[in-house]
Amino acid sequence: MTSFEAAGARPRSLPNGWWGMLVFVAGEATLFGCLIGSYFYVRLQSVHWPQGGIEPKGVLVPIVLVAALASTSIFMQLASAAGVREHAGAAVAALLVALVVQSGYFAFEVHDFRADLAAFSPHDNGYASIYYTLLGADHAHVALGLLLNAWVLLRLLGGLTRYRLNALRAVTLYWHAVNVITLVVTATILSPSA
Amino acid sequence: MAIEVYTPTARRRVDRLDAIWTERPGLLGWLTTVNHKRIGLLFFFTSLAFFAAGGVEALLIRTQLAGPGLGVVSPSVFNQLFTVHGVTMIFLFVIPMGIGAFGNYLLPLMIGARDLAFPRLNMLSYWFFLASGCFIYAGLLMGDGPDQGWFSYVPLADREFSPGLGVDFYALGLIFNSMSTTATATNLIVTTFKARAPGMSLNRMPLFCYAQLAVSFVLVFALPALTVDLVFLELDRRLGFQFFEPANGGSTLLWQHLFWIFGHPEVYAIILPAMGIATSIIPAFAQRKMIAFPLVALAELLVGFIGFGVWAHHMFAVGMPTVTAIFFAGATLMVVIPSTIQIFAWTTTVAMGTPVFATPLLFIGGFIALFVTGGLSGIMFAAIPFDQAVTDTYFVVAHFHFIIFGAAVFPLLGGMYFWFPKVTGRMYNEPLGKASFWLAFLGTWLTFFPMHIVGLLGMTRRVYTYQPGLGWDAYNLAETIGSYLLAAGLVLIAVNLCLSLVRGPIAGPNPWHAPTLDWATPSPPPEFNFPVIPRVRSAYPMWDADDRLDDRRRLEDGELLFDAGHQMPATTVRDADLDEILKLPTESASPLLVALPVTLVFVMLLTSHYIGAGLCGALALVALAGWHSREPQAA
Repeated sequence: MTSFEAAGARPRSLPNGWWGMLVFVAGEATLFGCLIGSYFYVRLQSVHWPQGGIEPKGVLVPIVLVAALASTSIFMQLASAAGVREHAGAAVAALLVALVVQSGYFAFEVHDFRADLAAFSPHDNGYASIYYTLLGADHAHVALGLLLNAWVLLRLLGGLTRYRLNALRAVTLYWHAVNVITLVVTATILSPSA
Repeated sequence: MAIEVYTPTARRRVDRLDAIWTERPGLLGWLTTVNHKRIGLLFFFTSLAFFAAGGVEALLIRTQLAGPGLGVVSPSVFNQLFTVHGVTMIFLFVIPMGIGAFGNYLLPLMIGARDLAFPRLNMLSYWFFLASGCFIYAGLLMGDGPDQGWFSYVPLADREFSPGLGVDFYALGLIFNSMSTTATATNLIVTTFKARAPGMSLNRMPLFCYAQLAVSFVLVFALPALTVDLVFLELDRRLGFQFFEPANGGSTLLWQHLFWIFGHPEVYAIILPAMGIATSIIPAFAQRKMIAFPLVALAELLVGFIGFGVWAHHMFAVGMPTVTAIFFAGATLMVVIPSTIQIFAWTTTVAMGTPVFATPLLFIGGFIALFVTGGLSGIMFAAIPFDQAVTDTYFVVAHFHFIIFGAAVFPLLGGMYFWFPKVTGRMYNEPLGKASFWLAFLGTWLTFFPMHIVGLLGMTRRVYTYQPGLGWDAYNLAETIGSYLLAAGLVLIAVNLCLSLVRGPIAGPNPWHAPTLDWATPSPPPEFNFPVIPRVRSAYPMWDADDRLDDRRRLEDGELLFDAGHQMPATTVRDADLDEILKLPTESASPLLVALPVTLVFVMLLTSHYIGAGLCGALALVALAGWHSREPQAA
């Protein structure tokens, strides 16, 4: 008897893990709301923006990067849908594609973050402080997502159970949220040069 | 009518559930427990210990202020005392008592569940709570506690003006504490939505659960603002960031905005569990259904919602634009509406019922009197010129103590009496209970009411001492006498409950003929709560005698038993239709193994060992990876 059978027929409503993740990402979205609110609060009180003559970021590369990251929502959703249909192989493949793109995004962003640090320091002024904190918080969430994806992937390699499916669906929701958050954070950071 | 065991078949079934659900005994059992009732008790006793500590701090503060020019404690210790007193009462007592103890213990019982949705997360949240409380108190015990007031305004809290570790104990400790509270709130939300007994649609859910749901949402959406604020503060203090430095493009008011975006909803988070307790006690002792049930449910949710739109009324004195101040004054007035709906519903229910003024109902009566008084002084702050005149005076201290102590704590005390028979299986002593109420009630008035007057006479809050001849002496002496009277009332409650634990008469499952499912279980409830999962057809399931008789039949027939392991049904969100059988995780050391390195992360951050903090964080992740190394469904 598989774990699916042991736990009874497929449920109509979403699993507890998904609901737990929904509450978690709602809290995290509020956290980013506060960070972005702080960004604009500091900005509205400032005569020059960015402060201290810091050069605004270029627009093209961040937009391409965030578009690539946002595309992983499709693969995550495909993985989740394949899991629901009990196609473990397809779920693993879609998850793997998402993980590769997400890792590429993260690697580039870490590189970019370090390059920014060489140009100006978070100690310089209010803009620099909120810039690094906002971006750092977003990158931390991407990093956490990578860890979650890697963990789910490892679990799925051992076969599909209801527990693993629930985890996959919860992590998919997490990534949808992180992608939207990254989109908004990027738009915020780019807004001075728009 | 409780679900009782009458036949050998039923006994066999209950014994089987007992064998499945009973956790290991002794200390190890308490360290690894995931049972919501045990965790609720851990929250209860731990937050009670912090309440005692906060109470001693309050008495020291009042003793210092009993007369002019006294030197009971030093100015530095006084500053630490009032800061830690505020932090303790809000973060380490009222909130964990409201949701960690009462919510944890009672919510699953009231909705007919066997446990919370995430039992191990529940235990982790307890460890985080305990560790964060000890973390904050470590500063005080080392003589370097937080001393800048509970809202820790910058620039006073900046490194330049607070160079010690006190602010860091405060900031890191509260970030840590937020993790605990968020985990508990998440657990309560998911449990409320997904684990209600079949038939308990949202409109049949007890009002206590609405209050717990509202407070959980408030916390999930309010605490991130505090976390962001505290992270900014630590980054400024430790790494030289410029968030709060106006000379370098930061803003000191940013701290206040973020703090009060959290802080005002937090006030409602403090009082909502109390409202939930009131709506449990009143129908039981009035022996009638709550009047305007849907309106009260809506009002509980509205209180939480509107609380997010009023934060800047704490900042009328900072020089905001007039239009902004007027908007927040208007929003502040709006909070009156849901609060008043509830007050009318409570008082009318008592008036229309056949009330028995036993100790729990007396405490609710006291709560209503104190809440109305605190509410009336609170609404005065919506008048902007008045607010500006009394800002930072003892008038404000009087107002928020009527709300945060009178309105929030009195129902908790009443709730202790009310559910004492359920938790212990014994009755408390009624005459002693009534005496403790009157002592606490009179003590509260004597302590806090004169503060209105000295506030209007110009006594500012947080003063270490004062000169004689300002007209404040008699009021302060009365307040100090009142505080000792209040303390005597609280001690009498503890004495009553301790004695009753040993000598109290046996209570039985439902001594109050109360209407909610928590009274369907034996007293104290077994580890699995319900031998059969009850079916529900109204918001007062214990008054539906046929349904409870049906529970006995289903126990006999083996229907809805869920006895093939740690099983609990999950139901649909709106209508609570039976949807899925969950296998819940069993007792585990994992929560403790995760909590230990996380605690070390905060210790390392405090002592500026950032690499060590990273290593401990990695260790926590490893422990987390092993959290469900054996999946619940495969267990």
